[in-house]
Amino acid sequence: MRNIAGLLFAGGLAFLLLVLASYLPYGQTPMFLGDAILAHAPGEVHTANIVAAVLLAYRGIDTLGELSILFTAAAGVGLILGHRSLRSDSAGVNGAVNSEQHSGFITTRAVDLIMPLLMVVGFYIIFYGHVTPGGGFQGGVILATAFFLPVLVRPGTRIEHGVITLLEGLAGSGFILVGLWAMFYDQPFLQPIFDSFLGTGPLGSLWSAGSLPLLYLAVGLKVGSELAGLLVTVSEVPELSETNISDADDINRK
Amino acid sequence: MDNIVLLVVLPLLAAFLMPVVARSSEVVARTLGLSVLFISIGIILNVWSQSGQIDSQAVSIVIGGFLPPLGINFYVDQISLFFALAVPVMVLLFWPWHRATSIREYSLMMLLTASASGLILSGDLFNIYVFYELLGIASYSLVAIQGRVSAVAASFRYLLMGSVGSVMMLLGIAIIYTQTGTLNLAHLSLLAPEKLNNMLGLASFALILTGMGVKAELFPVNSWVPEVYGSVSSNLAALMAGLLSKLAVIVIVRLLILLFPQPEALQLMGMLGILGVLTGELVAWRSRDFVRMLSFSSIGQLGLIFLAFSIPGEMGMMAGIAIALHHMLVKPALFMLATGWRGAVENLSGVARRSPFVVLLFIVLILSLLGIPPLPGFWAKYLLMVGLSSQDGFIYTLGMIIVPLAMVIEMAYLFKIVMIMYRKDNDEPAVNNSNIVDDSNIVDDSNIKVVQKHSKWGLAIAASVAAMLIAIVLQLQPASDKLLSLANQLSDRNYYISTVFPQIHTVRMQSIK
Amino acid sequence: MPAIEVVLYSGAIGLSIIGLTGLLLLNNVFRMLLALVILESGVNLLLILSGFRLAGVAPVILPEQLSNLSAIVMNDPVPQALVLTAIVIGVGVQALGLAMILRIKAQYGTLNMLKIREQLEFDLAVQSGVATPVSAHSPVSLASGRERQLSNHKDEQ
Repeated sequence: MRNIAGLLFAGGLAFLLLVLASYLPYGQTPMFLGDAILAHAPGEVHTANIVAAVLLAYRGIDTLGELSILFTAAAGVGLILGHRSLRSDSAGVNGAVNSEQHSGFITTRAVDLIMPLLMVVGFYIIFYGHVTPGGGFQGGVILATAFFLPVLVRPGTRIEHGVITLLEGLAGSGFILVGLWAMFYDQPFLQPIFDSFLGTGPLGSLWSAGSLPLLYLAVGLKVGSELAGLLVTVSEVPELSETNISDADDINRK
Repeated sequence: MDNIVLLVVLPLLAAFLMPVVARSSEVVARTLGLSVLFISIGIILNVWSQSGQIDSQAVSIVIGGFLPPLGINFYVDQISLFFALAVPVMVLLFWPWHRATSIREYSLMMLLTASASGLILSGDLFNIYVFYELLGIASYSLVAIQGRVSAVAASFRYLLMGSVGSVMMLLGIAIIYTQTGTLNLAHLSLLAPEKLNNMLGLASFALILTGMGVKAELFPVNSWVPEVYGSVSSNLAALMAGLLSKLAVIVIVRLLILLFPQPEALQLMGMLGILGVLTGELVAWRSRDFVRMLSFSSIGQLGLIFLAFSIPGEMGMMAGIAIALHHMLVKPALFMLATGWRGAVENLSGVARRSPFVVLLFIVLILSLLGIPPLPGFWAKYLLMVGLSSQDGFIYTLGMIIVPLAMVIEMAYLFKIVMIMYRKDNDEPAVNNSNIVDDSNIVDDSNIKVVQKHSKWGLAIAASVAAMLIAIVLQLQPASDKLLSLANQLSDRNYYISTVFPQIHTVRMQSIK
Repeated sequence: MPAIEVVLYSGAIGLSIIGLTGLLLLNNVFRMLLALVILESGVNLLLILSGFRLAGVAPVILPEQLSNLSAIVMNDPVPQALVLTAIVIGVGVQALGLAMILRIKAQYGTLNMLKIREQLEFDLAVQSGVATPVSAHSPVSLASGRERQLSNHKDEQ
């Protein structure tokens, strides 16, 4: 019964999407918002990367919302996996694994070598986010990878969660404080600030786009720390028994 | 006036900072959240008192200094200001005081507050989606951390349903964006009669309804309701059933008014509402424990709200707002009473002799929920019936039959409880019941203890709600005037457009077009 | 209609349908989560295609283009920003879902949605006192829950 209803629904959606596809103005969609932003952004926000202008200036509160979503998810995951039922046996098992089950000399050394390079790449992508394709999200993900790789090759490493907590809290508040800074000058929340000491360089240079690089730095650190926190939390869960995927009948045959 | 944006920003700031502050001082971190809630209430009251003209004039607040439709704006009118006030007040009332709560749970409560305020204030389609997702993720997390693993399982099912819903909503937004090329609600509303008044518009409405309907307990996507409300604490259930579902309803109604002018959209919503009423009330009638009964009755009431809002014209709008506000008052109070009465309905026998006052309170609340004159619930249902009778059309005629029928079913099961409460019964099965639950607590370690006594706080909330209901009866005329002005403001599309785009700006926009 | 667009659109639609069908037909909660991921990527692809222009380039201004900005056709930057947001939201949901799956697996001992649902209904009934925990298939404790799951597993074999 559930199958039939489900298939009907999926079929309906497929039909809808196909109808939609036949209606679409291929390659020449009405771009009211897009055109207006493309026309105004270089003059108003001074970013060469216009997606960055949309993310941080025109739709800045969306970005704040999505940072909060990552934060919420990280907090939820921490609380759910911090439960006793998942933690009680982890200390013993992981402690035993720690010394024996590392990933071998070559992998470990390679990761140690590559980690600082990844850090540099991540920060480069964050700092040049308003000039080149890239930015806080992409850079943040690379930072999280750089942080997580050493944990991956040395299973059972204890990570001090305090650093992550501190970083995610401060980066998130940094984003909001930059927004509130504008309100302090009687401007709307998150209005980009083009002050004397902030980036006032020509379009396309690193030192341009006012307070946006600051916002991108906050985004990058926030995304990096949240993702690293998520990965580390999930990796600390002890192994569950093996009878997992195979025992579930996949298709409901009723 | 610009301070309104702080309603969203300050709770977020507090949520980010709380875990950091808690590392040095737990107490400061805990008070941080509460003080932000008080500041939010203060800001709204200040706006309300300072600008008396908010009653007649809505305001659009620009964020980031970019005028809409390029930037995102918050739209503040009477109803959004009212709900923006209700959010911190209700979060404060149902704050998880009593447990040794982790600081991260407080953080989640602050995120819930911020997203709820943002959802009701936002004037941008995609921004609404973002806040709706934030609201969703915060509530999945809050449900999942209630201790028992059954809460996690319930929350996972809720998460699957909610995220499929929001993907559908995103699809609806994508369709709207391909058709119009803009996301601002006022601008969309300007373009809607021309661009969205077709099958694709209707399809995107159906998709958005599927997405937002998950939180609003709309008919086909509400199977999470009994599971979730049954496994969380009464405080959280009261908050979710009372506040969050209403926020989703108001946002759906706003989108419906602004974006989808076609009558089919209204009929679709009305039909789903009727199905919700029927299924909700029938299952509530058959359910055997009190919390489950309340959950299903909540589905039924939300169905009534959708039915009311599907009536075109101001009568439907008034009825919808009235039932929504009434349910927002009564249901949390009932959930607070349920704290003391968890368990099978049969166990409640003899309760009336032990705590006559509480049972009296319960009777006042359910009488109003049923719609017995002269309590406010009656006037809400009266408005609904008048609105239904003024329309012709299959849905509305069906509604005329279903609404009284639902009332009869509701009466049957609610009075069954009252009868049981007044039954003379000397043994006390309630004690057995608590033993059983304690057994399962040991193995399933929960921090919700089944309280057999009502908390004073919960009783105080329920009593003040009952008092408020009676106060509304005494002040019926001012209340209905207020309702009429709320309904007028909510249903006026042109007013919304002209608020967001004042004259000069409209001219400029037309030149761009 | 250029071929590349046909490919992209059918990809987006196909991914959405695969994801939705998977969600409706699969019973393994982990695979359901993966189906959700596929559904999300399909819809994201559709959303980003809504800003696609023939002969459009990425909305990044290169230094040498500064002189004649109006001459270049750029793709709509807004859907790109929206999709970035939607992807991040998706990551959050998936992480949360994964954590819940780990917790459910640890305590219910199964990943089958039907069994989880059955057990959930039972737990709720026990909690609210309308079912006695000492009935024939009572999963009152974690251990017996696992045993039951294992015995069911044996039965099926």
